[in-house]
Amino acid sequence: MSGAIEYFQFVLAPQMLIGLVVGVAVILVALGLTIIFGLLDVINMSHGEFYALGAFIALALASIGLPFWLLLILVPLVMIPIGYVVERGLIQRVFHTSERHVTTLLLTFGLGLVMEDVFRLIWGPNPYRPETPIAGGVDVFGIFVPSYRLFLIVVGAAIISAVALIIYRTRLGAMVRAAAYDRHMAASLGVPVRHVYAGAFAFGVALAGLAGVLLAPIYSVFPTMGRDFILMAFTVVIVGGMGSIAGAVIAGLFLTQVQAIVSLYISPVWSDPIVFGIMVAMLMVRPQGLFGRLGHG
Amino acid sequence: MRMIDALTRSMRASHLLVALLVAASLVFAAIGAAMGETFYLRLATEALIFAGLALSVDILLGYNGLLSLGQALYFGLGAYLSALVLMWVPSFWAAFAVTAVVSAVVGLIGGFIANRVRGVYFALITFGMAQVAAKVVYNTRALGASDGLIGVPVIDINLGIISFSSASPAGFFLFVLGVIVILYGVTAYLLDTPFGRLLIALRANERRVPFLGYRTMTLRLSAYVIAAMIAALSGALYPMLRGFVSPELLFFSTSGNAVITVIVGGVGTLAGALYGSVLLTLLKSVVGSYTEHHVIVIGLLFMGAVIFLPRGLMGIVRPAVERMLTRRSKP
Repeated sequence: MSGAIEYFQFVLAPQMLIGLVVGVAVILVALGLTIIFGLLDVINMSHGEFYALGAFIALALASIGLPFWLLLILVPLVMIPIGYVVERGLIQRVFHTSERHVTTLLLTFGLGLVMEDVFRLIWGPNPYRPETPIAGGVDVFGIFVPSYRLFLIVVGAAIISAVALIIYRTRLGAMVRAAAYDRHMAASLGVPVRHVYAGAFAFGVALAGLAGVLLAPIYSVFPTMGRDFILMAFTVVIVGGMGSIAGAVIAGLFLTQVQAIVSLYISPVWSDPIVFGIMVAMLMVRPQGLFGRLGHG
Repeated sequence: MRMIDALTRSMRASHLLVALLVAASLVFAAIGAAMGETFYLRLATEALIFAGLALSVDILLGYNGLLSLGQALYFGLGAYLSALVLMWVPSFWAAFAVTAVVSAVVGLIGGFIANRVRGVYFALITFGMAQVAAKVVYNTRALGASDGLIGVPVIDINLGIISFSSASPAGFFLFVLGVIVILYGVTAYLLDTPFGRLLIALRANERRVPFLGYRTMTLRLSAYVIAAMIAALSGALYPMLRGFVSPELLFFSTSGNAVITVIVGGVGTLAGALYGSVLLTLLKSVVGSYTEHHVIVIGLLFMGAVIFLPRGLMGIVRPAVERMLTRRSKP
């Protein structure tokens, strides 16, 4: 019996905690992705590059001496106009074609390619490792946890709750949900649909940028940093249900826990195929995911 | 004289454009062989091999309206199968036969999974399947893991009348040209039959086709398997050219490049896939000689094509050829 407790305390629990940190990080990226899909019906293939953009902007601002805490507010504020312009200037150009899904996916895929190479042009291919804003660690039930990771879990949970509150409890959120449900009806009721669309896209990429700032001290900053991460975020969005906020949170926690626990028993290199396998199986059995879309119940 | 409709006319325009490309390739091969050139002939051969992959993407996207983000799965499958067979028996025919049979079976299974969904979900499920396959290959020691399979022997390709080595730049270029033209021809023929017309009908209105007495699943599955086989057979040529295969062939960048090729060349034209591949390879080597950031140029070109030229390069060229053809046949 005591063996089981020790096993839990020293093997399983630390692994689950690491999984939780990754989970919160993935959910932050997936939230923007799922909101953009839920409202605009756009698969944003450049989302990973916006995540990297946030980290690079933070890197540039930190180099002129701004403190980390200020960056947490500044970077999303810089990202919002960028996202707004991308939506109005690029996505709207192909938004009204008959095969909107495919064309917007292709356009954002191209944008991601260009952005990634621009990062390489400006910052070079090598990774930067920002200093960890909070040094040291704390003892949680006998497990040593670096303070910054604990901070990440708390802040991440706060951001996720704030996003859910905005979408489900405010007038702004009601407009967003109304536009997602029926854009024509929402427009005729006075919702400025065009601005809601552009605003939601900007909000989504700003969330990705914020995730980039938060995760940079753990995962480093490099041009292709969005690539590996975005795969997991896509998986989370698909399994949770495209356009569902609750789905993204539950699937994010579930999949990262699966990944963390599975890698205890088999080689960690196999955890990716298992997670993608879950995604493919989900798409086969229930393509709409665990939960319904934004604005649809 | 039988009436020709718009589809047949545009297909004929594509044939003419491909014939033009073949003529240009023959001149290129003759000059290359006379000068004892190797580098550009090999580069052109690679462009043709990836044109085969783009062709398979075009069958799905251009005729079925389904975007595959994981066609590299079949390209890589063909490349690995061919490498394995060649290391065991150095016969081109054996490699092609094994690739054709295995890719048909794998394509049937993959098609069964992917065709349960449509639209963006199809794009994502094909993407997911290719990712799973890429990760598995990347982590399998028996397949060379991240290094891939190296040391695929140079083979003699025996076509009955003539026989030449896969190491001969001009000879192998002409051979690949022949294979790709045959793949193009078979595809164009199939798409011009009633089966091809049904695929176009399916793209236009998927709900109505069953009322005409056809099974949509059978149609979609057939198109998927044909595309898988074409991608795999093109992939089978790769180790003969380079002497190795690596897991990069299965990665998303390979699938993504094929999609870019088709969009820039022209969706739903088949000839566009071939021209797109030649154009992009040319662009990569020209821009690449000035800067290592050629992806910016190609990415911007691609975005420009998506926004301004939804029919790609062929959207400009082919209507002119069609007009030429109608003028000639009228009097």
